[in-house]
Amino acid sequence: MQFEVLATCHTTRARASRMTLSHGVTSLPTFMPVATQAAIKGVTPQQVEGLGITLILNNTYHLNLRPGIGVLREAGGAHRLQGWNHNLLTDSGGFQLVSLNKFTTITEQGAFFASPFTGEPTMLTPEESISIQHAIGADIIMQLDDVVSSLTVGPRVAEAMQRSIRWLDRCIEFHEKSGKRDTQNLFAIVQGGLDPVLRDECLNEMIKRHDKVAGYAIGGLSGGEEKDIFWRIIRQCAEKLPADKPRYSMGIGFAEDLLVCVALGVDMADCVFPTRTARFGVALTFNGPLNLKLGKHAKDFNPIDSTCPCPTCKDGVSRATLHHTATHETAAAHAITLHNLAFQARVMGQARDSIMDGTFPAYLRRFFADYFGDAGYPEWCINALRSVGVDLLDGNPDAKVVKGDGAKWEYSDTA
Amino acid sequence: MSHLSLLRFHIQSSPATFSPRLGTVSLTRQSENTSLEVHTPGLIASTSRGVVPHLSGDHTRASEAIRWVHVPFESFLELSPPLPTLHPGPYPTHACLGFPPTKHILTMSLRDPADDRDMPPNGNEFVSALCLRGVRKVTPDEWRDYVLAAQPDVLVALSDIPFTSGSYSQKRITKSIERSASWLANILRPLPGRHVSAGATPHFPNVLVHMAGGTTPVARQAFSRSLLEPLFDKEAEAIKPLNNLDQGVAGYTFDLAPLHKSLSPTTAHTATKNGPVAAIDLFSAPPAPSVIEQVVSLIRTSLEPLPATKPRFVHSASSPHEILALIRDVGIDLFDAHWAQRAADIGVALDFVFPAPTTGGVSDAAPREIGHNFYDKQYSHDFSSFADTLRSCSAEQDDKRPSCVCMACAPSRPSEPLKHSRLDEAPPLHPPVPYTRAYMHHLLHTHEMAAHTLLTLHNLAVLDTFFAGVRRVLSEQPEIFSQEITRFEQIYDGKLGVLAEARKTWTEVSLARGKGRLAREKEKLKQDTLGTAVELN
Ligand SMILES: [Zn+2]
Ligand SMILES: [Zn+2]
Repeated sequence: MQFEVLATCHTTRARASRMTLSHGVTSLPTFMPVATQAAIKGVTPQQVEGLGITLILNNTYHLNLRPGIGVLREAGGAHRLQGWNHNLLTDSGGFQLVSLNKFTTITEQGAFFASPFTGEPTMLTPEESISIQHAIGADIIMQLDDVVSSLTVGPRVAEAMQRSIRWLDRCIEFHEKSGKRDTQNLFAIVQGGLDPVLRDECLNEMIKRHDKVAGYAIGGLSGGEEKDIFWRIIRQCAEKLPADKPRYSMGIGFAEDLLVCVALGVDMADCVFPTRTARFGVALTFNGPLNLKLGKHAKDFNPIDSTCPCPTCKDGVSRATLHHTATHETAAAHAITLHNLAFQARVMGQARDSIMDGTFPAYLRRFFADYFGDAGYPEWCINALRSVGVDLLDGNPDAKVVKGDGAKWEYSDTA
Repeated sequence: MSHLSLLRFHIQSSPATFSPRLGTVSLTRQSENTSLEVHTPGLIASTSRGVVPHLSGDHTRASEAIRWVHVPFESFLELSPPLPTLHPGPYPTHACLGFPPTKHILTMSLRDPADDRDMPPNGNEFVSALCLRGVRKVTPDEWRDYVLAAQPDVLVALSDIPFTSGSYSQKRITKSIERSASWLANILRPLPGRHVSAGATPHFPNVLVHMAGGTTPVARQAFSRSLLEPLFDKEAEAIKPLNNLDQGVAGYTFDLAPLHKSLSPTTAHTATKNGPVAAIDLFSAPPAPSVIEQVVSLIRTSLEPLPATKPRFVHSASSPHEILALIRDVGIDLFDAHWAQRAADIGVALDFVFPAPTTGGVSDAAPREIGHNFYDKQYSHDFSSFADTLRSCSAEQDDKRPSCVCMACAPSRPSEPLKHSRLDEAPPLHPPVPYTRAYMHHLLHTHEMAAHTLLTLHNLAVLDTFFAGVRRVLSEQPEIFSQEITRFEQIYDGKLGVLAEARKTWTEVSLARGKGRLAREKEKLKQDTLGTAVELN
């Protein structure tokens, strides 16, 4: 991997950079759409490529179950299987193992679970996870970590953090011996729950492995914790992580979360949210999400966003037409998915340009004013951005501010 | 209605009323300065809720097979007034549904021609149509207003096809004929304020009539004759300057779904007073050869007295075998692709060509299937492209098979990738690689919607190539056409066993995904005859 920081924001910790992997260049900060089972739901790789997306995510846990490592090896890896010629990242499978399998038990050796197909006891070790990710062949691969919910408290959090460090060492060792280091880049995952002391300990240890890892992820968040704690942990991790490696915040996808994370120094993020919400008929815009199922869109012949370059908006597909087809026709899911992927890419693309131009703080203020101006600014965003020198309310002291997570939503009017 | 332009049909050679014919349908759009041409025999893509199922707009446009779309109007009755009638600007339905007028001819009918489920009876002054909110009564005047506002290129006049259970009495059949004729007369009344310039008509220019009479030959005959009878008095006054109804008709259309249903004795149907609730029958087999023969005979009865110069449309034909019989024995010009699109819904990639392949010693083997059920385990490690009879973009140069130009067999990037910042570099172009059966198998078993997208694009391309093969034989060696059909019937299984197999696995996999999943699929099939439920998880 080549990683080059091209510009840093004069005020916040945001940076624009260029990451070169085996399947091309991806400029950062970027959002990675999730193709869980080797497909972004409803759209073809050619369409994803057409949207200007150069890095997507596959889930190791799912691909290991289906189509299985045998098929992946025969295909020549996941890129070939799904016809995706650009960069690809795989997670370690650990998170899905814990979230999708009730009976997973963690031992020092690895994660022990019953195969969902055969019921047979199965073990996912750090070595096995890396080995599967080698067969998948992603450009970026993740260490197996000991995942606990971000709401877990007590000694289990410290144990999971410390075990994640030990598992990182096993992943590093296995990966180095495999001879795949030139083509596949291993990322460490910082754990430690919501405890700044544990996070700090984990950071110290993982930073010691600096020369053996290609980048760092911040894990163990986005699990329902308070946003005020979330951003503080992100800030703590991003601040301490070395500047010469990319930083990846896992499971982040709301536009406001993305921009706060970027301002705190994060380079990459992934989430199923924009594609999933599309299937329910919700289109993302710079003025907030639109629930196209609402009756108020039934006769609205405007496109979702007339300034959007996605195929759906460029074709002039109207909100009214999408209202008619959304949740009934897969074609509507595809059309809104294309738009939402383009929206995420635009939010991050504009972040890159404004960082290069030295106007990122102004971009933040403009984005939040457009997105939350009428519904009210989430207080946590104001606090988070203040911590890196940007006051969203600057020049707008009377703006409405809302407590809580502040996610903006159009609620359904039918059921 | 200044944008309505006349559909022209040119038959290259037509020695007899009932013989295979080569033709060209053309539609010139003066305002767009384009002329659309569709060669016949050819296909019309079916839509559900106004879209070709599984295809986003860029895919629909990129598909060379989709030149003509058929849009059932009934789903739009959910909104009052219906959506396509509200869309601003020229070509409102095209614009509303994302079919560029420069690329697509658009036909509109009130009802989905593939929907043969029981419905509450029609009345003297209304047709019962189905939308998400239940049954809606649509009067001939309303239909006229709707199409006047929606401006499809081609419209199907309302007709009275009984969709109630049981056999129909003489009285009911007579009524059906009378209603259909009077509703046709209604739509042929001159349009308000339409300029009658050279070549233009004072009424809707492109009205198709569905040929009524059901399975009763006498009734079909009577309906056809009624189109030719000169009208008098008030009736004549209403459709002036037309002398009879047929003069105002641009083509004849036949919905096979109700005929198949009536002629297939095994199907039992229960009456529903309060509207259709049954899901579309997933397990209905294609009609037996004897049924196809009867269909041919019934259609010939209808067409016999009528001019042979007008295009003939068939909806819901259910196999290539039936299509070939209707081309050979009737001279049908256009067929909807509903069955091929339905195959894509249930995981089948079509794989057949006309003329049937001559190599491979197929004659002595068991009949070939017309496609592949990619749910089947045998495809899990199969990295070849979708079809054996067609070549993909990675085939050798000297490969003599016809090529499949679909986006699965010959993927291409829709356009130059977007750039979202000036740091973004155009990614290197890679030579396209066809999608594989193993990948489809994976996508189907993981319920990934992209499987149906690729299969739809492929199946439409296969059917389009099939029609191109039919036209080539008709143009170059018409004398062997009949014998090529016989060979096709010998080589390809006319029972479409692969579809039956796929329906079974489709249901099993849906069920394996959970009861909720299957319930949503069933719900979808109550609403539409095409498409699958949106995968929400
Ligand atoms: Zn858009
Ligand atoms: Zn194909």
